[in-house]
Amino acid sequence: MVAPRYADWAALRAAESARILAACSACGACFEACPMIAYVPDAQGAAASDTVRGVLSLLQGGQGDAAARGWVAACTRSAVCIPACPEAVDPMLMLRLAKFNAQESGVIPPRDARDAMARVKAFARLGFTEAEQKDWL
Amino acid sequence: MTDALFWYGCNMTRHAEIIRLGTRMLQAVGVGAQPVGGPAACCGSPKESTPRIAEGMANRTMQRFNQSGAAQVITWCPTCHMNLDDFMGATQGKQADSAHLAQVLWDRRQELAPLLTQQVGARVVIDLHMGNGTGVNQAVPGLLRLIPGLEVMDHPYRAPSYMCFGLASIPGALEDARANMLAAMEQTGADTLVTIFHSCHRELVGLERHAGIRVLNWVHLLAESLGWPYQDEYKAWRNSTDPEAAIGAERIAAAGEDAVRRLVLPELRRP
Ligand code: SF4
Repeated sequence: MVAPRYADWAALRAAESARILAACSACGACFEACPMIAYVPDAQGAAASDTVRGVLSLLQGGQGDAAARGWVAACTRSAVCIPACPEAVDPMLMLRLAKFNAQESGVIPPRDARDAMARVKAFARLGFTEAEQKDWL
Repeated sequence: MTDALFWYGCNMTRHAEIIRLGTRMLQAVGVGAQPVGGPAACCGSPKESTPRIAEGMANRTMQRFNQSGAAQVITWCPTCHMNLDDFMGATQGKQADSAHLAQVLWDRRQELAPLLTQQVGARVVIDLHMGNGTGVNQAVPGLLRLIPGLEVMDHPYRAPSYMCFGLASIPGALEDARANMLAAMEQTGADTLVTIFHSCHRELVGLERHAGIRVLNWVHLLAESLGWPYQDEYKAWRNSTDPEAAIGAERIAAAGEDAVRRLVLPELRRP
């Protein structure tokens, strides 16, 4: 059994956010490496360091700026930022934690997943045999 | 006690044949694995914009795994795979080892290779993505290279994200990835696009209608070489001019007509 490192998600989020805030120098290398910036209209022409500071603001419960909010919303976890970071921050986790905060506080809209599980079940009823529905779900 | 769980995730319910084939392949290389997935075994990711709800779902799934006594959790979905390693494992503890299906089969390639007896004449480009903590970018090309007659065409293009799902909601991103993959196929002379994950399969099978190519999942190609029949019903429905007729009234009624009309048919009718 690999023992848990944190009591719950809140403890994980608090500890990792504090670590990231202490480690990140806002150099902007993660922003420069990200393949999704091309798809963030508000990030076109934005300064890399300023945008990272916006993400750090979201991480602390702030509003960030438009470029940071757009970047956080467009992160698809390509992971190329991780080796680009000179401070071993794990910028992909930084953006994910910032997104948690921003969605909880309504700074960026949450993903609409209302029908996700109902759709999963409907496809299962179509494609699985009755025995598979009983044994696999 | 189950040797292993084959954790296929949620959205794989669209692709029952891949779950069946994957389970049979594991059996063929000596791994008895019980498929598990759907809403009762969710990693929480669909509800990640409400982390408190996502945490509850993830905890329930992790406790189920830990109580199963299984020595290994074999993953399919890369989102589940990553969540198992980070949030789920970090907060619940992890009883079982975990590895992706492709990695498990690759690790047992000495058992698998002699079973791949059927020639599969295809020149394939694989829909590889940048982000992957699952090992698939090495394991899937390796597995496909075991298939007699099949040529894996090397190309440097890697789509953003770790599968097509994330790209679909970002204007322009999925369209660019599709265009780049078609360009890679043209440059290499490939006739078949191979998907790795379910969401990629879902987003790319429609190319068969317009681009004059075949789109298959890597599991389908292994099955063909094993001589195992299968039907990719999702692709048949998605590429049909009339998905409702393709599924058939009887199956729609059995699955719940209202749910199929509201949740399934609009997806299958997308251009
Ligand atoms: S996360 Fe790393 S790469 Fe990004 S700004 Fe901070 S230190 Fe630089």
